[in-house]
Amino acid sequence: MILELTQTSTYPWAKWLGDALSVVPGKNLYFGIFLSIIVFLIGQWLFKISNGFFLFQPLFVGMVLGIFVLWLMAKGFHTDIATFYTSAYKPGGDLIFWFLNPATIAFAVPLYERNDIVKRFFVEIFLSLIVGTVISLYAIYYLSRLFGLSAQGIASMLPQAATTAVAMPISTAIGGNAAVTAMACILNAVIIYALANWLIKIFHLNADPIGAGLGLGTAGHTVGSAKALQLGSVQGSMASISVVVISIVVDLVVPPFAHLMGLM
Amino acid sequence: MSQNAKNQTDKNSAVKEEEKDSPVLIQMAIFASILFVSSLISPLFPASFPVPTPVIGLVLLYLLLLTGVVKLHMVKKFAEFMIGLIAFLFVPSGIQLAASLDIMKQQGWQLIIVIILSTIILLVVTAYTTNGFMWLRKHVLHRSTDVE
Repeated sequence: MILELTQTSTYPWAKWLGDALSVVPGKNLYFGIFLSIIVFLIGQWLFKISNGFFLFQPLFVGMVLGIFVLWLMAKGFHTDIATFYTSAYKPGGDLIFWFLNPATIAFAVPLYERNDIVKRFFVEIFLSLIVGTVISLYAIYYLSRLFGLSAQGIASMLPQAATTAVAMPISTAIGGNAAVTAMACILNAVIIYALANWLIKIFHLNADPIGAGLGLGTAGHTVGSAKALQLGSVQGSMASISVVVISIVVDLVVPPFAHLMGLM
Repeated sequence: MSQNAKNQTDKNSAVKEEEKDSPVLIQMAIFASILFVSSLISPLFPASFPVPTPVIGLVLLYLLLLTGVVKLHMVKKFAEFMIGLIAFLFVPSGIQLAASLDIMKQQGWQLIIVIILSTIILLVVTAYTTNGFMWLRKHVLHRSTDVE
């Protein structure tokens, strides 16, 4: 598929840029990589000069700024943002995205480094994650109904505690929309990365490092685990184990739960 | 192997572990091998029970570290490097939402609010549930819950 951005542009410079960007998807990786790094660095810079204002978290700024740049460029090329994203940004973005695979595996190291905690609190960790997920499912279900989401919308919300790769197929299986679920998983991570410190403070979560770690890993996936690691080795280790266990718990618990609630 | 000799080798490996990180390329090779093996295991799970490649990889590396096949110094530096990058690696996922702007328009602001509140629910409920089980451990089972 070749997207003809050039024919819809009226300016000569736009024709040149469009030529460079509207290639066979997968060929021009440079734009996606370039934009990702630049917007993230701007985020880091803003975070630094604002003395750590929570809305200027680099990930959040990078996301908003990146989408804004794509929206602006799509406007310039008279195309819609989804098409422009797919043809110009996605090839390079996917390349960076791939490195989340080794980054996820890397959490085995902080997990192993605090294996003493894992061994001692094995039972508590597993029980907390299973019971916590079931309680959260009820809460998310009734919250979704309170806000008047459709059955499809509710089904899309339920699997979000798992990592995206687990949550999407489960969502489809229980009658949800996989794209909405993916969006929820991504926003989970962005929200946790931005608000973790504040949430920990107002809910007094730091009194129990094990609970804080398990919570951050469950709510924020791998990004939450990175955040937990900044708080301490116990938190990081617990968040790492929750990423694995929660995915399996969601696999096992969410389909029967959806059945119970009459969603499927 | 006599007990003495065994202690000696244990000591040696412990010293080595402290001393020297494996070359970056070796560390990357270990990660690449684990990812490759995991990608072969992942399709063996049924479609109704998906377990993605990186999750299997995390468990595999953990098991390899536990059994001592892979030593900490063989993976630690690269692992720390990757974890340090994670917020940046997540930027493309965030920007991917540009392709979902239509969904947001369809479903409206309720969806975003539900997602924000769900995130907080998952964090707080999991943490408080853990507090509950820790309380049980301490006051009912009378076992230590001290974490340094």
